[in-house]
Amino acid sequence: MNRDWKNLFPSRRMIFLGAGGVVLVGLTARLAELQLLRQAEFETKAREVRIKLEPAPPHRGTIYDRTGRELASSKRNFYVTLRPEVAGPIGDRQQKNKDIADVIERVGRLLRLTDAKKRTLLQDATTPPAHRDILVADDLTWEEFAQVNVMAPELAGISAEVGELRSYPLQSAFYHTVGYVAKANEADIQRMVEHELTLADEVADSPEGKARAGAVRRLYKHPAMRVGKQGIESYGEQALKGEPGKVRLLQNATGRVIDRLPSEDLAGKPGVDVVMSVDAELQNYAIQRFGNEAGSAVMIDVATGEVMCMMSTPAPDPNLFVSGIASGPYKALREDERNPLYHKAYDGVYNPGSTFKIVVAAAALETGAMDPNETVHCSGKAWYYNRFYNCWRPQGHGTMNLRSGLANSCDCYFYRAAEKTGIEEIAKIAKRFGLGHRYELGVTGGKSGVVPNNEWKLNHPRIKERWYPGDTISAGIGQGYVTATPFELAVMTARAAGGASVPNPRLIVGGLAVPDNDITPMGEFKPGVLELMRDGMMAVTAGGGTAAASGSIDPNNELPAPYTGARMAGKSGSAQVIGLDKYRDSRGHAISNDKLPWKLRDNALFVAYAPTDKPRYAVAILVEHGVSGSRVGAPIARDLLAYALRNDPGAKKPFVPKARDVASADGAAQPT
Amino acid sequence: MIRKDTLLYKLTQLHWFLLLTIIALAMFGTLVLFSAGSSAHDLETGLLKIDASMAIAHFWRFTLMTVVMLVVALLPLRLWASLAYPSYAIGLVLLLLVEVAGNIVNGSQRWLTIGPLTLQPSELMKIAVPLALARYYHQMFAAGRSELWIHLVAFIMVAIPVGFVLKQPDLGTSLMILGTGCGVIFFAGISLRVVAILMLIVALMAPVVYFFGLHDYQRDRIHTMWDPSADPLGAGYQLQQGQIAIGSGGLAGKGFMEGAQKELEYIPEQNTDFIFTIIAEEFGFVGAMVMLAAWALAIVQGMIIAGSSRSSFGALAASGFVVTLMLYVGINIGMVIGLLPVVGIPLPLISYGGTAIVTVMIGFGLLMAVHLNRTNDMTLRGLL
Repeated sequence: MNRDWKNLFPSRRMIFLGAGGVVLVGLTARLAELQLLRQAEFETKAREVRIKLEPAPPHRGTIYDRTGRELASSKRNFYVTLRPEVAGPIGDRQQKNKDIADVIERVGRLLRLTDAKKRTLLQDATTPPAHRDILVADDLTWEEFAQVNVMAPELAGISAEVGELRSYPLQSAFYHTVGYVAKANEADIQRMVEHELTLADEVADSPEGKARAGAVRRLYKHPAMRVGKQGIESYGEQALKGEPGKVRLLQNATGRVIDRLPSEDLAGKPGVDVVMSVDAELQNYAIQRFGNEAGSAVMIDVATGEVMCMMSTPAPDPNLFVSGIASGPYKALREDERNPLYHKAYDGVYNPGSTFKIVVAAAALETGAMDPNETVHCSGKAWYYNRFYNCWRPQGHGTMNLRSGLANSCDCYFYRAAEKTGIEEIAKIAKRFGLGHRYELGVTGGKSGVVPNNEWKLNHPRIKERWYPGDTISAGIGQGYVTATPFELAVMTARAAGGASVPNPRLIVGGLAVPDNDITPMGEFKPGVLELMRDGMMAVTAGGGTAAASGSIDPNNELPAPYTGARMAGKSGSAQVIGLDKYRDSRGHAISNDKLPWKLRDNALFVAYAPTDKPRYAVAILVEHGVSGSRVGAPIARDLLAYALRNDPGAKKPFVPKARDVASADGAAQPT
Repeated sequence: MIRKDTLLYKLTQLHWFLLLTIIALAMFGTLVLFSAGSSAHDLETGLLKIDASMAIAHFWRFTLMTVVMLVVALLPLRLWASLAYPSYAIGLVLLLLVEVAGNIVNGSQRWLTIGPLTLQPSELMKIAVPLALARYYHQMFAAGRSELWIHLVAFIMVAIPVGFVLKQPDLGTSLMILGTGCGVIFFAGISLRVVAILMLIVALMAPVVYFFGLHDYQRDRIHTMWDPSADPLGAGYQLQQGQIAIGSGGLAGKGFMEGAQKELEYIPEQNTDFIFTIIAEEFGFVGAMVMLAAWALAIVQGMIIAGSSRSSFGALAASGFVVTLMLYVGINIGMVIGLLPVVGIPLPLISYGGTAIVTVMIGFGLLMAVHLNRTNDMTLRGLL
């Protein structure tokens, strides 16, 4: 043991503790300076000029059509907000509410708000919490905005702001596919919070998860923020919305924003731009061509699988929803018998009627159940399993083979074909034609039609019965349990036209990844099967066929090469919407379909492709209660195909947005 | 006759006053973290918002580390003396590995992943360096040596790990290891004249280091300290907002859960390195002084324990840890109130998060072990 050291230690300890004392005195002095001497200064700073971090809604990605036309874009938005804690800062609850009511009254006069709107605002503003901005009005004109801005110093709690608002320049044309945005409600916020937590792989009750949830909540409560409610706007919300940034707001004691302090490290990222495969011109033409009819048209490019047109008419203007639609107009939309809110192309399941006969024809040939030259005699009705099944032509078609059966849409021929092929084989072929599948297109909603068979019927929650042979007879003409959406019918037609080489359908060609992994492939058919089926479809639009009047697309050889003189091939369908017995009047006489109330008339369907020699476009037309597929549907199909061949939208490469907004495949924005 | 080697007897001989000080500080930390998560008037709803998740996590972390501390305290001090050199050697090897194969987090290479474990070897060095130095001096004093060269060797033992940590780069931790090591050398009796000369050299070298030895961001931080308003949106922002929170707390503070600045998310890292801003805002000057007094008490008690040890190993290891403790508290608070540049050092027992509490509680365990073994003068025989 070192004696010297032992004696040294106490003095060293005193030096150290002395140094510690100096540190303590230093800290105390500085704290006293901050907390005692300069308290008033810092308290003023804390209370009066507050720098508040506010979420800044990012720029929402634009949705384009294939030519680069904007279907959903952002326009400048002048809006006015109210902060209740600033409008009614002091006094008891009654005093505060009175002050808030006064501010609302005065700003209401400036902006000519309705009394109902003012009442809703007052109710909103007097419910806690008071520390938040309530949207008073948006989409204001510059004059209104300037007026509020000038008056703002006298209107406590009112701020005039500039932001962005979603706008749909083509109005109703893309209501169902693009969808719309609106103010987020509690359910939307909850959904987005859960979504973000899943993405970040965080637990909701961890400190990090809570912070993230709070940030999402604040963002969607921002007066200028909207959330995708349906369509691509909803499906692509995560990518479209971008990464929110933050803005530092310098506020004075009344909460009025004195200055905005943007900074690089707090900037958000703009949302991803999305490009749809559709051609807006074609879509507009289709809507115009339908006129007052209700229905749907879907066109697919046989060469690329890209959807050229996907419309459902009538449709409301999505711009109505962005700032909130009043209950009156909304009720009218909901109760309209032509169902404007309903996405007929994607959500509507209809009996395909006789258009299904091309599937039955292919199934009969593929399985060898029918020889193409085998004939069936049609006397207007046929006897199967103890009952008569009528042909649509009461006087009968006489002797029919595959080609004339398709051309005349003879039900008797297809009763026989279906009976001989059997439902299981028909179902397999129908799947191979793309039926019975909900295609993931990047749009919310969407249904799958029914491709029925024994297993399906046994497992159906309300039927739970075995398949009866009679069911096959009805299925043979696309009635009974068989259903399809117009979109599925378009895929069926594209596959009929192009065979196994047709790519899977796509509606979104840029910005969003839309995986759909369980599409049944078409697969190869026996040689000659598809050719014979197509030959039948050509006969439909040739002399003597049901749609002979619509066969020629280019009677005057005006289309550019290679489409000069093009013809279309197709298949008509008319599907009953009510039981047959209803088509009789009180004395038991049959009523002509045209004389029935609109709601009870047959749906008119037509599927077609063109040109016949080298198919490029396939289209499915549905006219709700249009009575006759060949008379109503076929001319529309012909005109749409003529329009498509003239402009050839599929031949042009889809638009690529400018580099700033180019997105990687997983939908995330690239660093800018 | 009471047997002095039973566990029960040892427990009764623990330094209970120090233990109570530690518990009081940690409970205060739990309270502050409860307030950090909660709010009397939530910005979103205006209502009372309670979020105890950070406080609960902190409480359990402290409870677990208290058990570890007691184990360290109750094991024989000879064991720790035996482990001094091996732990120093392992620490050096791990630092070397970090250099070669460490993970880069926030632009800095501090972490080492071995299977499921993620280690921060620089943290281990905060304990291993004073232990190894104490062991070294213990041996030298036993051999009757006290020449200047033994201090030079000790300094080299400090400089090697400091160099590695500085290179990661982790300025805060390397300064703490350097400070702790120099503290032990100082307590080991290096001549005050040498100390004075060295301090003069450091003072002269400081400008050179400032202009040529520091990274840009480190220089920025020092500059920001003098003038936070020069960069109100960057590095100075945190500091300025922190000072507004502290200053607006005044003498008595705004009250528990009443802090306004925390709610507006003005201050980044407020639950970790900047936790002192909440203390000063909500509990005021009085609250801050009470907490500082508790730390001063812990430090003084630590020095008393060091002085009472008969072995030089115990005295120097204890002093080394007390220096570490003082550096933690002094640097953290000094940085938050704008006396020192911003370096990432938490306030032990109070800040939210894992590594500092582990280091500090093991250190307290050693301090208590020194206290329990204060009459043992520890001959070299039988030491590893």
